[in-house]
Amino acid sequence: MYRKRIVFVVLSLLLVLSMALAACGSQATPTAAPSQPTQAPAQPTAAPTQAPTQAQAPTQAPTQAKPVTIEVYYPVAVDAPIAKILQGYIADFEKANPNIKVKPVFSGGYGDVKTTIQTTIEGGGKPPALAVMLAADLYDLVNADYVVPLDDFIKASPDGEAYIKDFFPAFMANSEYDGKIWSIPFQRSVVTLYYNADLFEEAGLQPPDSWQSLAEAAQKLTIPDKRWGIEWPSGWPYWLFQPLAIGNGQNIIQSPTEVVFDDPKVIEAAQFYIDLSHKYHAMPEGVQKNWGSAPGDFAKGAAAMIVHSSGSLRGILNQADFKVGVMAVPGKEPGTYATVTGGGNFYILKNVPREEQEAAWKFVQFVTQPKYAADFSIQTGYVATRQSAYDTDAMKAYIEKVPQAGQLKDMLQYAGAELSCMNLGKVRNIFHKYLQAAYNGQMPPAEAMKQAQQEADKALEMFK
Amino acid sequence: MSATTRGFTRRQGPPWLPYLLTLPTALVVLVFTAWPTVQALYMSFFRQYLNIAKFRTPTFIGLKNYQTLATSPDFHQVLRNTAIYVLGTVPMSVVLAFLFALLVNRAVKGIGLARLGFFYPTILPMVSAATIWLFFFTPDYGLFNTALQAIGYHGPQNWLSNPHLALLAVMIVAVWKNAGYLMIFYLAGLQNLPTDVFEAADIDGASAWTKLWKITFPLLRRTTLFVSTIAIIDAFQVVDHIFVLTQGGPSGASNVFLYYLWQVRFEEQNVGLASALTVVLILIMLAITVTNFVYSEREGA
Repeated sequence: MYRKRIVFVVLSLLLVLSMALAACGSQATPTAAPSQPTQAPAQPTAAPTQAPTQAQAPTQAPTQAKPVTIEVYYPVAVDAPIAKILQGYIADFEKANPNIKVKPVFSGGYGDVKTTIQTTIEGGGKPPALAVMLAADLYDLVNADYVVPLDDFIKASPDGEAYIKDFFPAFMANSEYDGKIWSIPFQRSVVTLYYNADLFEEAGLQPPDSWQSLAEAAQKLTIPDKRWGIEWPSGWPYWLFQPLAIGNGQNIIQSPTEVVFDDPKVIEAAQFYIDLSHKYHAMPEGVQKNWGSAPGDFAKGAAAMIVHSSGSLRGILNQADFKVGVMAVPGKEPGTYATVTGGGNFYILKNVPREEQEAAWKFVQFVTQPKYAADFSIQTGYVATRQSAYDTDAMKAYIEKVPQAGQLKDMLQYAGAELSCMNLGKVRNIFHKYLQAAYNGQMPPAEAMKQAQQEADKALEMFK
Repeated sequence: MSATTRGFTRRQGPPWLPYLLTLPTALVVLVFTAWPTVQALYMSFFRQYLNIAKFRTPTFIGLKNYQTLATSPDFHQVLRNTAIYVLGTVPMSVVLAFLFALLVNRAVKGIGLARLGFFYPTILPMVSAATIWLFFFTPDYGLFNTALQAIGYHGPQNWLSNPHLALLAVMIVAVWKNAGYLMIFYLAGLQNLPTDVFEAADIDGASAWTKLWKITFPLLRRTTLFVSTIAIIDAFQVVDHIFVLTQGGPSGASNVFLYYLWQVRFEEQNVGLASALTVVLILIMLAITVTNFVYSEREGA
């Protein structure tokens, strides 16, 4: 009996062990999609000013005899048939480049793509040649040695320089590190203030141009238990908070190793967010976990304004039966505005044969041509990444019909840099923790931001 | 056991046959269980950040990672949350599972529908279930809040972002999802109970209540042990819904062990600390299982 018990204990220990380990192993998979709800759409890039044939130009690997197959990992982060759209582009690309086969792998959200690539590379496997990952993840991806710089490819391309220059600088801001270019903007977005223009007109209000007028408009348009003046999601808060800080003259990111959380202007920005509910009673109280429901609330009239991603434009326009206004978030001083960019870029991965990387580069150039950049923007709501995309006839015709699409592009002049730094995952977790504590009234904003600064400084110390 | 084995080999084949037959399992356990455990233990003594070039190569730092954990307020919060989560969801799921099983074990018309209703959440993948609950929890018009209001609740509605309610919200989803699954084991147990003891009890004039507590429940003791072990392991393991519902927030209010481990390993890319966390998790699980087992064996002896 005794011995039997020992055996049983040992067996059950093994069972527990294996379950615990299974838990550790399986954690990688479920995380991705939902963990990055904030990034919304991005805009596609258009090719530089030259005609769309540029990518097919045979300059690189002119007589590529051997067929190459590349994989592209790709997240679906917005409510648009991204898979279908991309497959159309791939078909066009393969027709133009019969030697290259492109295999798209749609693997959840941004987090999933990154985690999959991380585990593949760390496990010694071969990653895909190309992936769309968050522009803001630049430093972590480079420091972890997952991606290759693109400068050689750019140099080898005809008009490579002009190609890069054609992208909006606001979108290229997250591509450079250590004097090199590491990613090409693809699906990019900006934080957008959507307002119900019909309600504003009825109430005799102008679109807000300062914090004060924003708060007053929100207050005036609030009907208790029926309509919020404004909804401002904060379940994953840094992105939608940044326009407030920038609009007060102090972005929270200074350099890759320096964040600014405890500046009085940043604290004031957090206080303004809190005031919208506590002082003006125009916004749900505390942290708002409504990223998914806010666009619907706005479209059906349950919120007069929302702050959201530009990528939700398409969905909102489809549902709303009123005039939808879009604008950058007003700054503190009258006549100032602010927004911040977001979304994903193309990265070419390490540990992949050179010819696959070259094929990947060809594909990147192909789908970022003005023609496709414009089409992608029209079909998804992402902001087109290059100036020349807005010069295409298709885009001009679309903006004629949907002027908001053009206004989104114009907002880029107010765009500050998205929070992107060394040790981003850690720093962002710290900031979220304390910003939410301030929003929820667990700590005064000044104290919360001071603590966030201290912890973030410690997390960044190792990089100095 | 060894005696049986010897007898078996004497009659059936060469002495090495049993080893050969268990080899595949042993290999799997070695490669996927024992080896990673050793590796995690080993790596937990090193500093390695994958996202910091100069710290990508592991450096031996002794017990520093464990020290970091011991002094980290975040980790303490996670431990507290995990304890509340486990102590809250496991007994609740097990009790509900037992009640559900009693309920659907009757031959009443339409009981199939009840069985389906209780079991249905189990078939859904956790991520889908959580996505549905994300809508239920919507303030103002979500089903959950509407239902609460109907029974007179007027408290805060933003359950997922309220620091006092977020953990409770993810626990509710876990119980809802798990109880039906655990019910299956109790149902199987109930249907295998010997009928003679109940007949004897009937002859003695025992009440239904007495039969339930003096016969049914004790006879299902092994099932309860099994079910609670599974439920505990599940409570530590299943965090999919947290990814969908709260991301551990607000301010870490709903962060539990495995989600924290994921954050440290994949968001912060701190391999050493993640390994230390893994070792702690394994130790906790071992302690729980051994206690559970020893305790129930003693009681049964």
